[in-house]
Amino acid sequence: MGFLAPLWLLAGAAAAVPLLIHLMRRRAGAHIEFPAVRYLVRAEREHSRDLRLRNLLLMILRVAAVLLITLAAAHPIIRMAGAGHAPTALAIVLDNSLSTSAIAGGRPVLQQLQARAREIVRRASSTDRLWLVTADGVVHGGTRDAVLDAAAHAEPFGGAGDLRAATSRAALLARAAAFPAKEIAVLTDGQATSWREPLALGDVPLHAFMPAAPAPANHAVVAVRAIPARWTPRGAVRARLLASDSATYRITLEGRTLARGIAARDEEIVLRAEPPERGWNAGTVELEPDELRADDVRHFAVWIGAAPAVAIHPLAGSFAHSALDALVQSGRASTGNDMAVVPADEATKLPALLIAPSDPIKLGASNRALERLGVPWRFGAAQHGESVVRAVDSTRALEGVTVSVRYALTRVTGAERTDTIATAGGAPWIVAGARYVLVASPLAPPATTFPLHASFVPWLDDMLSQRLSGEGGIPQEVAPGEHIARPAGVEALELPEGGMTRLTGDSLTAPARAGTYFYQRGTARVGALVVNAEPSESELARLTPQALAVKLGTRAATVFTDSTAFGASVLTAAPQRPLVAPLLLIAAITLLVETLITTPARRNVS
Amino acid sequence: MDTARATRADLLDPATIAALGRIEVTARWIVDGFLSGLHRSPRKGFSVEFAEHRPYQAGDEPRHVDWKLAARADRWAVKQYEEETNLRATVVLDVSRSMAWSGAPARLTKLAYAERLAAAIALLFLRQRDAVGLVRFDDVVRSSVPPRVRTGQWVRLVAALEEPGAGSASHAADALEAAGRLIARRGMVVLISDLLMDRADVVATVRGLRNAGHQAVVLHVLDPAELDLPQSNEALFVDPESGVEVATTVADVRAAYQATVREALAEWRRSLTSYGASYEPVITDAPFGVPLRRAFSARQEAP
Repeated sequence: MGFLAPLWLLAGAAAAVPLLIHLMRRRAGAHIEFPAVRYLVRAEREHSRDLRLRNLLLMILRVAAVLLITLAAAHPIIRMAGAGHAPTALAIVLDNSLSTSAIAGGRPVLQQLQARAREIVRRASSTDRLWLVTADGVVHGGTRDAVLDAAAHAEPFGGAGDLRAATSRAALLARAAAFPAKEIAVLTDGQATSWREPLALGDVPLHAFMPAAPAPANHAVVAVRAIPARWTPRGAVRARLLASDSATYRITLEGRTLARGIAARDEEIVLRAEPPERGWNAGTVELEPDELRADDVRHFAVWIGAAPAVAIHPLAGSFAHSALDALVQSGRASTGNDMAVVPADEATKLPALLIAPSDPIKLGASNRALERLGVPWRFGAAQHGESVVRAVDSTRALEGVTVSVRYALTRVTGAERTDTIATAGGAPWIVAGARYVLVASPLAPPATTFPLHASFVPWLDDMLSQRLSGEGGIPQEVAPGEHIARPAGVEALELPEGGMTRLTGDSLTAPARAGTYFYQRGTARVGALVVNAEPSESELARLTPQALAVKLGTRAATVFTDSTAFGASVLTAAPQRPLVAPLLLIAAITLLVETLITTPARRNVS
Repeated sequence: MDTARATRADLLDPATIAALGRIEVTARWIVDGFLSGLHRSPRKGFSVEFAEHRPYQAGDEPRHVDWKLAARADRWAVKQYEEETNLRATVVLDVSRSMAWSGAPARLTKLAYAERLAAAIALLFLRQRDAVGLVRFDDVVRSSVPPRVRTGQWVRLVAALEEPGAGSASHAADALEAAGRLIARRGMVVLISDLLMDRADVVATVRGLRNAGHQAVVLHVLDPAELDLPQSNEALFVDPESGVEVATTVADVRAAYQATVREALAEWRRSLTSYGASYEPVITDAPFGVPLRRAFSARQEAP
């Protein structure tokens, strides 16, 4: 039994009133002259036992009447067995994550889960409220037919989604509904990586179904990356496989096979290449199909261009000249006018690697040149004293580099976004932006040890090829459905199958389907969005039903592996009936009986 | 018929009738109304009844000579008549303190009701040429009017009824014995009382009256509140005669009290009727015609 207005139960204390009156009966009231006192005395003497019983009965009736009325005021409801099920708010969580597209028993796991979902929905009545929440966060609600249709047409998601969030959302929907019964039904493959952390759903009844069969064996490409992100034009593809045995792989670029091979278990695949393609290109690493086809292909993107043609200024310093000569001799750069390595005061165009002037007297000219080129940085006062250089990103290339002379770099307020590549003494030392790299010291040993350092030539190569070549930028790698910021200047997203989607707003949601999508400005590709499933989604190991029950985080969670038992457990809340009318009727009868007992009998004297 | 009922004083509300005049007046209205409602009876006109002739003797009053017979048969004879009164009756009226009580201000007290009833019965009997007397009592016999059929008897009875009473106890036995003594030969005793007294004494006395050949009629006067208990919650009930106090909750004991009253009335009826006495409860909100009819019926059955 439950109560819709339980506070009224406090009024049940009023039942003490007739009890107190009965126990503390006042015997002295008005003085009444009454000649027939002898009959009164005789009545009390002869009916003392009846009077006691009568008084007791009256007290019980009055206490019962008060209790019944207060009970009715609290709007009690009871569950009635054997009369269908109570109107129920049922939220169904359908796991349509990538792992449910694995084939088990001759058909995808998702189809099995969909069949269970449809069975549940068909048992629902028009008095129930239904929702279908999928792992990708989509909520379908409305009529029974609408939910049934949504369950039948649920598509496998390209990634893991967020099953925990979907379940929490379902619990929120069910709890918020003003229905007498609330239930959650979770249909999942029980993948362990989807249920890492336990949920906290309260005490909403939750029934879960997971397949009894163990997860099928799976091999997958769990990581692939182009190194470096921009090839000029040489680079490498590095891939990692998840396989219980050796696996045959193929690496493609723009549909063209770059390489085939067999990789041993846990072996990292590295393919070096100098492809003829130029600009932004899409590539894949593929395995032979298995039970989970979706993770047998993993995508990557790479920008490929010719070696940068660099013009170096005579005042750039001997160390810069030597380093560039080394790059030209190794084919990583060439002599030309695509970009320049130049002291800032001598710079006339971008892209350029801008070096601080060796003579402080040229600071003014340098700053004017920076302003003219649109570089949002200005040189400040020269600072002397040795300070350690630290790279801002994870690269260790600048370890051990010190600076003796540097100019304070001041950023112009309101300018475009810039990157700080390295700091010296905590202040920006090397900064970069669109089509420029700016070093706050002259590249000479009196100012810094950097030109003498072994990392100087690779750093120069990286700056020329990755920062200053082409349109710039590196591919964004995201999971399906992930929310990301829209890159500046990007107007549209080019789809793998062709066609484009216009982008608006400051953010966008990554497509649900894995693949390489290119950012476009006008008709030009200016970047790449690589969508791949989370590597953890390829780990198909399942939880035990007991472990899943613990992860579901509700005291009333029951996990079934038998579809019949699961179907029978959902929508079983007995209907609740209000007891107000019966209680008031009983109270009225009680009061009527009390009235009949206390009403004087009709005069019957003959 | 309704109009006829409405104009009959014996069927009106007792308090309404009492408010219209003194006992002697209202009693006449009541009896007139009662008699007008009677069907004609073979015993109508209980005046002097002719019995036989006897030869005229010197000294007989000339008004008793049957002149018609003398003219027709030329024979002088004197008419012989039955006794002048048919019955000798005594009304025994309880005027104790318990009688001077009413359960509601709008109702007559039991005593006021009983006095008017006694007057009406007496007048009814007198109209029938019965000798009627009156004994008033409480703890002692307060007044006694021997039965007479004379013209001034009615005035004496009314005067006696207006005497004060209201003693602190009721001893009906002495009054009944006194009433029996007042009736020289077999007659009728009508006791009007609330019977708040020892039943055994009353019954024993009534038995004595019956053994002496008297007809006994007991009219048990009750206020409606004595049947149902006054409407009150917690109350201390005080007996005006004995001073006994009982504290109780009316709602709790009402049913038991009603049963007790019914049982007591049944006991009175059973005890009295077993000795041939008539017993009738009289409720003070009932029209006077009701007990009057009962007394009249008893009169008809009297020897």
